[in-house]
Amino acid sequence: MTLFSFLNRIYDEEILSKLGFLKGIRLFEGIRRRQLIHVLESLQERTYLKGETIFAQGDIGRALFIVFSGKIALSRLDPATQKSEVIAEVHPGEFFGEMALLEEMPRTATAHAMEDTKVFMLFKIKLESLLFARPHIGVNIATQLAKIMSARLRDMLEKPEE
Amino acid sequence: MTVEAPQLKTNYTQFLLPVFIALALVYFIVLAKSAIFPFILSAALAYIISPGIKYFEVRGIKRTYAVAALYIVAGALIFVMVYVIAHLLSFEIESLQQSWPAYADKLQRFIQDHNSRLVQSYPLLSSLKLDEKLAHLLAAVPPLLLALLPALTMLFIVPFITFFMLLGGAGILDYVIDHLPARHAEIVLHVASRIDASLGNYLRGIITEAFIIFLIAFTGLMLMGINYAAVIAILIGFSSLIPYLGAIVGAVVSSIVAFLQFGTFLPILKILLFFGGIRFFDDWVLQPYIMRKAVELNPAIILLALMAGADIGGLWGVVFSIPVTCIIKEILQIAVELQETEFRWKPKPQPTRISIPYT
Repeated sequence: MTLFSFLNRIYDEEILSKLGFLKGIRLFEGIRRRQLIHVLESLQERTYLKGETIFAQGDIGRALFIVFSGKIALSRLDPATQKSEVIAEVHPGEFFGEMALLEEMPRTATAHAMEDTKVFMLFKIKLESLLFARPHIGVNIATQLAKIMSARLRDMLEKPEE
Repeated sequence: MTVEAPQLKTNYTQFLLPVFIALALVYFIVLAKSAIFPFILSAALAYIISPGIKYFEVRGIKRTYAVAALYIVAGALIFVMVYVIAHLLSFEIESLQQSWPAYADKLQRFIQDHNSRLVQSYPLLSSLKLDEKLAHLLAAVPPLLLALLPALTMLFIVPFITFFMLLGGAGILDYVIDHLPARHAEIVLHVASRIDASLGNYLRGIITEAFIIFLIAFTGLMLMGINYAAVIAILIGFSSLIPYLGAIVGAVVSSIVAFLQFGTFLPILKILLFFGGIRFFDDWVLQPYIMRKAVELNPAIILLALMAGADIGGLWGVVFSIPVTCIIKEILQIAVELQETEFRWKPKPQPTRISIPYT
């Protein structure tokens, strides 16, 4: 057995693809590849089967979800008609539920898997420990989070009244 | 596009099987208590080591190889350490064995001497029969040391079980979480990661702390020229795993050894100062630095936990009392929070409102 094939055997290539995936996430912009390892360490993986509810409107939010593969639908219940309407679809590379990282408030929408979906979850407590233990990464994420919030707000203001 | 809001009905029969399995598990644990024990120790050890494995895993090394490499390196290190310590210990234990009767005699004479003087001045003390109790205690020391030998088999069983637990990783936990209703996965993982954060930091902290105290004590005792420095330092290291005990054990044991060795009080004074110093260093430097991310426990709670642990499970009860208390405290905290948020004991939390518009 050559050294190369031995190294190939002990090396897990899935990690490379995960790191590459995280590199493309807007939330982690500006974090160097080497440091993304610490981010990956703080993330929790889970697969939701088609039709499973990830969280429901009104649940207290605890984590941010990044879609790795599959598709998630976000729907909101209209209190007047008691019908829920899909407000967005989340595709691989996109994330949702970031409000939970800022304050533990009830979710404003229901999320369910439209197909078998693998997500990475970032819990508030993990983000906090990243902020303290690796401020460089933590500050980067916090900055991106603020930018995204600001963009959402601007988008809402600039959208013509329906 | 519209979809019907999902109607969730609670059907309690769905809980029958999980509850039955849980009860059967508890019953089994109660029945096979002593067989389960090495597994609990191994699980604790695997839990402490697992961040080390994860460190390599996220850097691309497959789990199996990371665990194997860790065992080979740890095995080599332990072999070297055991070789060196056994070299020191075998000499010390041999000399302890030879000199123990003389030491016991000396100690007994010292106590008898003081006891008779005390009894003369305070006749009440004679009713306590201190000298008889002491003679009994001193005779019991060598058998007590021998009784620790069976515990050595644990040294082989525990790493063996731990190896397979490390290979499996958090597989069991993942399995359980995968089979929970999906909607509850977030909260279960939230609770698990909170317990993990505080308990993990506590355990890793206390082990680092014990190791540093062991090193300081060993160096200090060697420099002071106290006999059996290695044995005493190991004893101090292990007892440091239990809050407050390390320095007390160290001070008492080394004072006795120093008195037997030198026969004067000056070395004892030095030793007491040294261990007082360790205690303060521990409280003011080590703990704030190492334990800053761990659960904070009130000293009174620690004392209660230690005493309750001793009551429930003897020596091992004491060892496990603090980690278990950490878990209980975190669970209680989370439970209170959940009562307030999920079950609406308190009014719904109000979002932060800012009157100035977005500009």
